[in-house]
Amino acid sequence: MEAVALRSPADTVPAAEPLTDVARAAAGDVRAFEEVYRTHLPRVHSLVRRMTAGRDADELTQDVFVRVWQKLGTFRGDSSFTTWLHRLTVNVVIERFRSDQARRARMHDGEDIFEMLPGPPQTRDLGMDFESALEKLPDGAREIFVLHDVEGYKHHEIATMLEISAGTSKAQLHRARMMLRKHLK
Amino acid sequence: MTDIWIDRLSEYLDEELTPVDRAALEAHLASCRECTATLEELRAVVARAGALTPRPPADDLWPGIEPRLQRGTVAAFPQRPPRRLSFTVPQLVAAGLALMVMSGGGVWVLQHGGRATTLPPVAASTAAPEPGVVLTSLSDPRYDEAIADLEQALEAGRAQLDPGTVKILEANLSAIDKAIDESRQALASDPANVYLNNHLADARQRKLALLRRATALVGPRG
Repeated sequence: MEAVALRSPADTVPAAEPLTDVARAAAGDVRAFEEVYRTHLPRVHSLVRRMTAGRDADELTQDVFVRVWQKLGTFRGDSSFTTWLHRLTVNVVIERFRSDQARRARMHDGEDIFEMLPGPPQTRDLGMDFESALEKLPDGAREIFVLHDVEGYKHHEIATMLEISAGTSKAQLHRARMMLRKHLK
Repeated sequence: MTDIWIDRLSEYLDEELTPVDRAALEAHLASCRECTATLEELRAVVARAGALTPRPPADDLWPGIEPRLQRGTVAAFPQRPPRRLSFTVPQLVAAGLALMVMSGGGVWVLQHGGRATTLPPVAASTAAPEPGVVLTSLSDPRYDEAIADLEQALEAGRAQLDPGTVKILEANLSAIDKAIDESRQALASDPANVYLNNHLADARQRKLALLRRATALVGPRG
């Protein structure tokens, strides 16, 4: 039977979603889970690193993948695995934030943080320069900037995740952008 | 800096201002070079953020993850029992993918091959339940009854179908039945697995849909 040649586009599996590995991992296959880890590690680690300014990024990334393993059985498969994974990653980071009392004080850094930001790029790697500037933002402004401008979450989603108002999310986003624009001059 | 509009520039960029505020800000921009320059700088920041690329960590983190998986270090979700992976589950996944391929191909053949050139709409006279029902249980009397009715109708009209079409239809139904059986076996040892439940529900829905199309094909000719 030549059914393969007749497959309908609607029945194809998106190439970006390694469903086979996810399904096998959900059934307890550690080797398949390792493939899932290697596929998604760069994006997960980058998200964690940017949200935390690099603090404990490796440890938190490991926590994320352990959590993924534990919760993979609840992934329904009716949404993008990448979307599900990134939301779980954000949740793990936020849980860490909530247990970090010292961070709470940093959430309310004063405007003197403006003076701490670096000047215009010193190297040719503009991506790295921007990442460095991002790390120096106050925690609250940086988290919201990453979630909104890098990850694409809406203010109402950020407000729910961080337990703040949408107005606070908008204000912090603008604050972050205003600080970062100095870096791009 | 006392410009009241400068704090609204991000909202303007993100198209979150009301039409009235947006018009007022645009009128202001026409006469304020500082706000216009700042707006362009903010636009550049947003563009730079969107262009950031993922970077992996300097070290491989897997050695710190794998032992925690096997020992179940975090006990927040203890319902996952340690189990050996048999060939059944990968075969199930492979069968599921093959099912998608063959179902699509089978429908194409039914639509374009044999004596029928177009498929009539799903027969309204069948006693099947609405297809929107999510089937997750291992036993569903309404589903079983609908399948039995459709199989009976198909058997009665079998002679009307081209032998090649019947062969493909039987192969597809056999693949679906195999996927359903393997899903049931896997779920017997892991009934809470959402992914397997979805596979089973999906296979059963596909069987229902395929039978409906096939019986609709023979129905009007009977």
